[in-house]
Amino acid sequence: MLFQSSPQSNFPHAQSASQISICAEHITMFFRSGRQEIPILKELNWETNRGSIALLMGPSGSGKTTFLSILAGLLTPTEGNVYLLGQEITKLSRKKRTAFRRQHIGFIFQNFNLFPALTAAENVEIILNIKGLQGKQARYEAQLLLEQVGLELYGNQKPRDLSGGQKQRVAIARALAGSPPLIMADEPTAALDSQSGHQITELLRRLAKEKGTTVLIVTHDPRIQDIADYITYLEDGRFKPTN
Amino acid sequence: MVSLARKNLLEDIPRFLVAQAGILFAVSLITLQTGIFMGFSQSTVKLINNSSADLWVTSQSLVQLELTLPIPVSELIKARNVSGVARAEGLLFSGAQWYPPQGEMARIRVLGFDPSGQLYRPPEIVEGNLKELHQPYTVMINTTDEDSLNVSETGVEVQMNSLPAKVVGMTEGNSSMISNPFIMTSLKNANAYLNAGRRSQIECQLPQGSSQLQCINKFEEIEEPANAQPSSEPRDLVASDIITFILVKAEPEMELSSLKQKLEKNLTQVTAYTQQELIEKTKTYWQQRTGIGFILGLGALVGVIVGVVVVSQILYSSVADHLKEFGTLKAMGASAGMIYRIIIEQALWMAVLGYLPAMILCFGVAYVINNNQGQLLVISAESAIAIFAVTIIMCIGSAIFAIQKVNRVDPAIVFKA
Repeated sequence: MLFQSSPQSNFPHAQSASQISICAEHITMFFRSGRQEIPILKELNWETNRGSIALLMGPSGSGKTTFLSILAGLLTPTEGNVYLLGQEITKLSRKKRTAFRRQHIGFIFQNFNLFPALTAAENVEIILNIKGLQGKQARYEAQLLLEQVGLELYGNQKPRDLSGGQKQRVAIARALAGSPPLIMADEPTAALDSQSGHQITELLRRLAKEKGTTVLIVTHDPRIQDIADYITYLEDGRFKPTN
Repeated sequence: MVSLARKNLLEDIPRFLVAQAGILFAVSLITLQTGIFMGFSQSTVKLINNSSADLWVTSQSLVQLELTLPIPVSELIKARNVSGVARAEGLLFSGAQWYPPQGEMARIRVLGFDPSGQLYRPPEIVEGNLKELHQPYTVMINTTDEDSLNVSETGVEVQMNSLPAKVVGMTEGNSSMISNPFIMTSLKNANAYLNAGRRSQIECQLPQGSSQLQCINKFEEIEEPANAQPSSEPRDLVASDIITFILVKAEPEMELSSLKQKLEKNLTQVTAYTQQELIEKTKTYWQQRTGIGFILGLGALVGVIVGVVVVSQILYSSVADHLKEFGTLKAMGASAGMIYRIIIEQALWMAVLGYLPAMILCFGVAYVINNNQGQLLVISAESAIAIFAVTIIMCIGSAIFAIQKVNRVDPAIVFKA
């Protein structure tokens, strides 16, 4: 297992651009509070290869979720550029960024963010709908995705009837909908007990390897470290060198 | 696409019912207000609608159905001789006093018509029959006016102006929201009640330098002796007596516009209206020249405004409750159009599911009110469709606020625990 802290970006110069999945250059982020500008992220350079599992770790308030939001194209950095799959998304319009996320990124959230009114299968199906798959085909595909995460018998259950681990599996099935090349997960094990957390990390690792998906996980759960190809530590908006 | 809108709505049934109750209230308010406005409008022209006449001939001074000057019976006789007229009948219509045996007197509207005629008939006689109106000093009243006239059954004898009157029948669907109670009687009886001491004459002269004779109707009061007793039977109408309208049935295939011109040319100082023209003129008067029309119109408008506010609040709060879900959809790549479709679909579901029970409720209320108070509330198929359209527009309009709320959602919200 390769541990790498604060990977310095030299994209697209040093490595082949086709190998790099996510690349952030000189990311700086300020939040405005009244007249004050509060620095959140300071000159971050970071990249990860295709098909790898990268962990972004750090204490609460370190800026890791903000960094994840920027990498996902949900926030625009004050300065710097983000390249996803070779496309500079920081230059895209909001509409094009949305379309990019739709096509290329799957999300997993700490609190699952499932739609409580929909069944497990429908939670997956609606994302397939967004991605352009409709009707029976979408229902069939949703069922296949639930099978991949071991929930084939739970398709008709609503989130309230599922355990935390099962909910996160549904969220993973949803993130896999449309086979996106990138998956971004925010604290995927934070709301789970250790056994469920372990199962989820194993599932993520297996799926990443099987499908060649790049997985970026933001976490402060040390149990996940085992599955990572890269680990980056963030503290006070800067990458922290590690041994 | 999975109907997130519908499923979100039905996820929390008690909350859904409370929200729908708000929409039901708003739609009911609009329906009742517009129903009252329409009931009022229709009640002003009910008399016209109850007639099968093609044309209504009356004084040139007519402002609206109940505000016109009389014309002599001689004009009715002339009208019968105009070519193209298949039938002409007189209608006498004026105010009088009603003195019941017990209780307070009332102001009434007396409507005299020919009980054997064909051009005006009371809409629905529920007690007695028309033939009884041929009897001297007999009248029919509307069942919904029983309380205001202090009469609860047929056979009761009252006094109208200075003459006796016996209630021989009851009608329904003839009450007016704005007029005093209608009393129906024969033309002969009405003439006795309303025209005692009044007569008309036509005065014609040839203006200097003109070969055209110009005529005007003149009316005069004749003083009756103080101790005059009513005759046992009202006399037949003569040419100098006065009536209010001449109802005309045109011969088949006779063009109404040319018959109107003929009547106006051959009769003195009259105007002929088609049924629709008279309805429009009367409705316009009540809606535009009186405060009643304005107030009821305002009520209907307030109903719509309240509806928009209520629906907006419900939809806005529903969207606010599911804001994180919308943020999740945005983060996962749902386009603005998809999000709008979800919100608008929710608004449409709310509109349909609020409209249906509201309509059932309003039809029920209208049924009860109209049976007890006369036709005060009108919900026609056209108005029901129009209110459905208003409900849809109202709900979609309200969705704009919710859409703005979602537009402002930062998709990065999804990463907040």
